[in-house]
Amino acid sequence: MKTMLSSADITSIDLYHTWVRVRLKAFFMITVFMVFCLLSCQEKSTKEILKIGLPEEPRTLNVWLASDSNSWKILSQIYQPMYLRDPDTLELIPWLAKDMPVLDRENMSYLVTLKAAKWSDGTPFTAHDVAFTAGVFHDFKVPRYYSKWKAVEKIEVVDDHTVRFFLKKPSAIILSRVFTAPMVSQKRWQPVVDAALKTRKPLRTLQNHKIESPLGTGPFVLSQYQKGTFIYMEKNPRFFGTGRTMAHRRLGPWVDGVIYRMYGTGDVAILALQKGEIDMYWWGIQPGYVAQLTQTPDIELFHNHKSALYFMGFNVRKAPFDDRALRRAVATLIDKEFIVTRLLQNYGIAMHSIVPPGNAFWHNRDVPRYSEGLNRDQRIAKAHDLLKQAGYTWETPPVDENGNIQTARNIRLPNGNPMEKMIILTPPADYDPKRAFAGMMIQEWMREMGIPAFARPMSFGALLDKVKGKHDFDAFVLGYGRLNLDPDYVRTFFYSKNDKPRGWNMSGYKNPLFDDLANRQRAEMDRNRRRELLIEMQRIILDDVPYIPLYNPDILEASSRKRFNGWVESLEGIGNIWSLCMVKPVTATELNP
Amino acid sequence: MSYYFGFMHRFSSNWKIFIQNPLGKAGLALLSLFALMAVASFGLHLLGPMYDPMTGVDPVVSRSVGPSTSHWLGTDFIGRDILCQLLEGAKIAFIVGLASAFISIIIGTVVGMVSGYAGGIVDILLMRLADMVMVLPSLVILLIIAALFGQLNIWMIVFLIAILRWPAVARVIRSQTLSLKQRPFIEASRVAGASDIRIIFKHIMPNVLPLAFLYMTFRVTSAILVEASLSFLGFGDPGQISWGMMLQWVWSSGHMFQAPYWLLPPGICISLLTLSFYMVGRAMDEVLDPRLRREGQ
Repeated sequence: MKTMLSSADITSIDLYHTWVRVRLKAFFMITVFMVFCLLSCQEKSTKEILKIGLPEEPRTLNVWLASDSNSWKILSQIYQPMYLRDPDTLELIPWLAKDMPVLDRENMSYLVTLKAAKWSDGTPFTAHDVAFTAGVFHDFKVPRYYSKWKAVEKIEVVDDHTVRFFLKKPSAIILSRVFTAPMVSQKRWQPVVDAALKTRKPLRTLQNHKIESPLGTGPFVLSQYQKGTFIYMEKNPRFFGTGRTMAHRRLGPWVDGVIYRMYGTGDVAILALQKGEIDMYWWGIQPGYVAQLTQTPDIELFHNHKSALYFMGFNVRKAPFDDRALRRAVATLIDKEFIVTRLLQNYGIAMHSIVPPGNAFWHNRDVPRYSEGLNRDQRIAKAHDLLKQAGYTWETPPVDENGNIQTARNIRLPNGNPMEKMIILTPPADYDPKRAFAGMMIQEWMREMGIPAFARPMSFGALLDKVKGKHDFDAFVLGYGRLNLDPDYVRTFFYSKNDKPRGWNMSGYKNPLFDDLANRQRAEMDRNRRRELLIEMQRIILDDVPYIPLYNPDILEASSRKRFNGWVESLEGIGNIWSLCMVKPVTATELNP
Repeated sequence: MSYYFGFMHRFSSNWKIFIQNPLGKAGLALLSLFALMAVASFGLHLLGPMYDPMTGVDPVVSRSVGPSTSHWLGTDFIGRDILCQLLEGAKIAFIVGLASAFISIIIGTVVGMVSGYAGGIVDILLMRLADMVMVLPSLVILLIIAALFGQLNIWMIVFLIAILRWPAVARVIRSQTLSLKQRPFIEASRVAGASDIRIIFKHIMPNVLPLAFLYMTFRVTSAILVEASLSFLGFGDPGQISWGMMLQWVWSSGHMFQAPYWLLPPGICISLLTLSFYMVGRAMDEVLDPRLRREGQ
């Protein structure tokens, strides 16, 4: 049955359609408006937040416990030292301090004047905080600082912004190793310290204290920490450096905050960087990524030197490496050129002394260079000569009567006994493939001389326990990825009193002449005279070769220039506090010039 | 002589059943290819020191480059030949797979036979032990051991895989033994004065061995995969080239997305070799279990 529509019905249908159209239009406009608002808000909220990728979670935010690099990447933005290295000249410049320290030779004291800085809670940073921090280092024997701060006999607070450090005896490392320690707030830490001192294990209690919101004077403050996910740090509005010019730079921070995201593997972090999920990955990248990253628009690569030492160490306490001739022969057999060109892919340099050549003032260029410029046959022939002169014999020598190189077999010690199997300990490949591989190549080079060497990668903890704790090893390949620019470590590594369980003299090297020079350099306040002593110390070490310096890798880092620029390159790369104070959002003009 | 002819007759008839199975044929062909690769690895030294899979490097190539006439599959990040590493990896895969499978089959067969034959408290204790080992996550256990003791050498990996992978075999062999021990010939042996050891090893073992060998093919597959996983995660033996180690190097040196000629061959080889053992196992299953055979076979 059909139904006839009246004109009133038709009008009402028209009205209905009009109403529907209006509603649809309104809905469309509201949707567009909302999307616009949402996008605008997103733009606004993420515009000035720098996103940085970290390779691992920081292990702790307790400044007394932190020893890993990821913890210090966060803590170094909160807790500040009195002096900091200029990123260009690498000289120490005043940071929380106002001027360079004034030495009073008569009283053997340093006078330090402080800037008018504030903690992030608004309370003033004073000389009392400095004295308190020093007191904690001393009273709790905080491992990272105590050995250096022992040189300070007492601290006198002259006024709120002036502090005087009295030394027990002259110390060359006071500026570089003592005045660069991070300062903590007395107000925040005094109750914790008092409570810890009442316990049976004060240091353990202090280190186990849980930190929710660290109080510092640095450019950023911790805002949110979701374990395993992200760390959000906000700009500290009370940062003493903001607007000041230091190291020829007008400091920010110029970003509102920094988000740190953790990436378990380099691959994922690199992909995140390429996709724009992070603006920078705060970790060295493998040379294999270079080709891929250079083809990606908006990715900027940074290539900088490091202050590092990767080396092979011997146990000179026992046979066979108590024999200097054997150590020299091994040093001759190692092809550092191979390591640099192939393992490091030319992103690094061969090391010949303990102090890296980049640290030019302290580096000794004239140390013995055992294998430099020699090809394989020449290296084997030279090592053969060294060992033959020292009384070593072979069932089949590596060099025959006509001077031809052949496969050596069954080397015998000067006393006629066969050389026993020896182990070269290395970190595992997942920890550092370069060191694991270097150990394996050294094994092969030693076997060419008939030396029964076996590279054995083992977990880093177990390796340290064997090498540093029990001294139960023949040889090892290890490295220091961040050597201090002050070369006092030459003393630390080879000083005879440091040959003790858990001591730094892992090789067990003992030389009274070296010890004397080491003590003298530490007390020498004249920089040039101290340099002469350190040059001689390096020569002695490379003459006796308890360590064979192998290589110093460069650091390759990548950032995205899409949103931020202004990274500050320095030794160790762009991951530093200077960068975080200088990185700025890219302006529209810079994006579309 | 009659025993020999009997064996040859059985082998011949079983071979006919095996070779009629398309899975068996394909698996065997693949397996033969990998066996050839493994055999070829013994002759690499004849090509010169540059082709030593571990220490040989091309003097003029110091980075990863693609296939060329001198390096058919290209080179790794320090200039080593990838094809030579692949051949060496085939040898290691066979060693790891067969050795760990063989050890786990021996353990599983002995435990299964003793458990099934002895019964009672021995059976209960051995089977609860098997249950405990069976539920252990073997890869996680291996990772923990590797993390505690540093990297494991290849023989340690073989041994650890073997002692974590025997329970399934033990359970199957036990059930077969339970059935066999009710048979008249076992009873006859016992009546004739045969000792328990003799009955187990002389009369039961020959009847359970085909089943054990069938399970061995599946154990090989899992052993190869476990070794490859361990090596890829960085806990393998860096002194020994393996396919997992090749994948570890391509990953740790940052060439994962740069060098498909380096990434793909070991991955494909791992997949195909495990697949070939699986296919051979399935075909052998048909030989041993007449119920699975098609009509007319």
